[in-house]
Amino acid sequence: MTKQKNHDKEGKLAVEIGTLKLKNPVMTASGTFGYGEEYAPYVDLNRLGAIIVKGLSLKPRLGNPSPRIMETPAGMLNAIGLQNVGVKSFIRDKLPYLRQFDTAIIANVYGETIDEYLRVSDILTAAAGVHALEINVSCPNVKKGGVAFGTDPDMVAEVTAGVKGVTGLPVIVKLSPNVTDIAVMAKAAEKAGADAVSLINTITGMSVDVEKRMPHLKNVTGGLSGPAIKPIALRMVWQVATQVRIPVIGLGGIMSAADALEFFIVGARAIQVGTANFVEPQATMSIIEGIEAYMKKHHIVDMDALVGSLRV
Amino acid sequence: MWTGSITFNNKLGPQHLHMAVRLPREFRDPVPGQFVMIRPIRGGGPLLSRPLSIYQFMRDRDHVILEFLYRVVGKGTELLSQLAPASGVNILGPLGTGFRIEKSRPQRILLAGGMGVAPITFLARHLEGKVAPKHEMKICLGAKSCTEIIGMERIKGLRGLLDIATDDGSMGSRGLVTDLLPDMTRGCDPRKTMIYACGPMAMLKTLAEQLAPTGIPCQVSIEERMACGVGACLGCAVAVHNRRGKRTQKSVCKDGPVFNIGDICWDQL
Repeated sequence: MTKQKNHDKEGKLAVEIGTLKLKNPVMTASGTFGYGEEYAPYVDLNRLGAIIVKGLSLKPRLGNPSPRIMETPAGMLNAIGLQNVGVKSFIRDKLPYLRQFDTAIIANVYGETIDEYLRVSDILTAAAGVHALEINVSCPNVKKGGVAFGTDPDMVAEVTAGVKGVTGLPVIVKLSPNVTDIAVMAKAAEKAGADAVSLINTITGMSVDVEKRMPHLKNVTGGLSGPAIKPIALRMVWQVATQVRIPVIGLGGIMSAADALEFFIVGARAIQVGTANFVEPQATMSIIEGIEAYMKKHHIVDMDALVGSLRV
Repeated sequence: MWTGSITFNNKLGPQHLHMAVRLPREFRDPVPGQFVMIRPIRGGGPLLSRPLSIYQFMRDRDHVILEFLYRVVGKGTELLSQLAPASGVNILGPLGTGFRIEKSRPQRILLAGGMGVAPITFLARHLEGKVAPKHEMKICLGAKSCTEIIGMERIKGLRGLLDIATDDGSMGSRGLVTDLLPDMTRGCDPRKTMIYACGPMAMLKTLAEQLAPTGIPCQVSIEERMACGVGACLGCAVAVHNRRGKRTQKSVCKDGPVFNIGDICWDQL
């Protein structure tokens, strides 16, 4: 593991997401990095811009039955079903460990009802060491809540405004690509007071075992992630970035620094690394180093000069 | 993540392979039952690494050698099977929780079905090197037919009783490896015995039913699809009973792959 280089929140890679100051724009996507500790043997957690933990619900959730994952061309399907320890156990058992790091901790919030979103947000706000909330209105693998809230702009607005009402923390709304026009959802979140939007969550997909004539996933459908979805994610981030004023956080199939740079250029202020963590635990480290090298090579002084610099 | 180099990758049958990988000496000594996540370095391979149980481990002065027995079951293992000697592989590991060896249970019965022979052989050879003379080891191997009984040469020389069952009766007795259990456990003292098993889920489920009334403890190594191997993706969940008897989830990659047979909710599989 290379030594930490950039702890400087005023450094070239520093970005601001609302009032949240990050030393660099590289975050780990919710659900792909556990509660941080799982990757500590492989990654210097201090070097990350932010860690977004697995989606948290009011009560612990067992998630879906196995098989839950399946590799597909240049990607993978998952239907975990938001298995998590619950918000109280997170604060008691997971957060104390995370507090030791000089890295923003962002809690991903999930609820089956609006009231649950608000209660989880409220509990997390009261806990020391959570720096922002990411509101999950886009999980495709649960029966209630999740994407059900993310496909209706009025619901997106209601959840966003509600959460803003119970927390002083920056609120990021994580959007689903499984809609006709994602910019409508982004604008609804912005209007309701969101400090940022993150996109995209996984794209609903399916895979079938032709010998058994059965779906590969017990849940039948799952969320597609990985390089396969990157062009779609990039297009959506570009679309949203040109239509909202709040920061846009890009994710979807980012495997390398070059992938991350594409997202910055189309308008993402920060990015999240997801499936790449599974493939190469140190992916985030090489992405941070690659962004630094690119900025040096192209004499780019700060992230502002890079974000949205697309020449069309 | 380690970079390794394949020293051999030999076909043992139409679908079965025996692979050895040379890794830097910094690679930690694995315990039997642990596994690695492995994938070819060269592009065009699968996106995700594949979990492979460790078959054999050897430490030399400046490097270590890891060996695997595996069967081609899909695209990931097919691509692994095509790798020639000197090809590079990425390896994450050793991962997971291996078999526990309890001194107070010196009578050990090892059961392997199909590819379960890989970790069971590693365990058997490990026990062979450790145990005092009063310790006893019995090994049962099972497979569809004699062509799928592989890795025998590593087991044959070991001290202890060996019994074999094949579905078609082409080697050993006709039937399942679990059919050998009543003979193997006859007269054994449940307080001094430990059963270790690895094989297909159906075999392990049968074993759970057989053992339930006997009180003989058993550790099983189970298989599930996984993406990360470190407990983050939650792709490899298995339903287990917690200490209060309530159903909960564990990750096969991190909490396992070895579990107490009684902890697993077999009705959920």
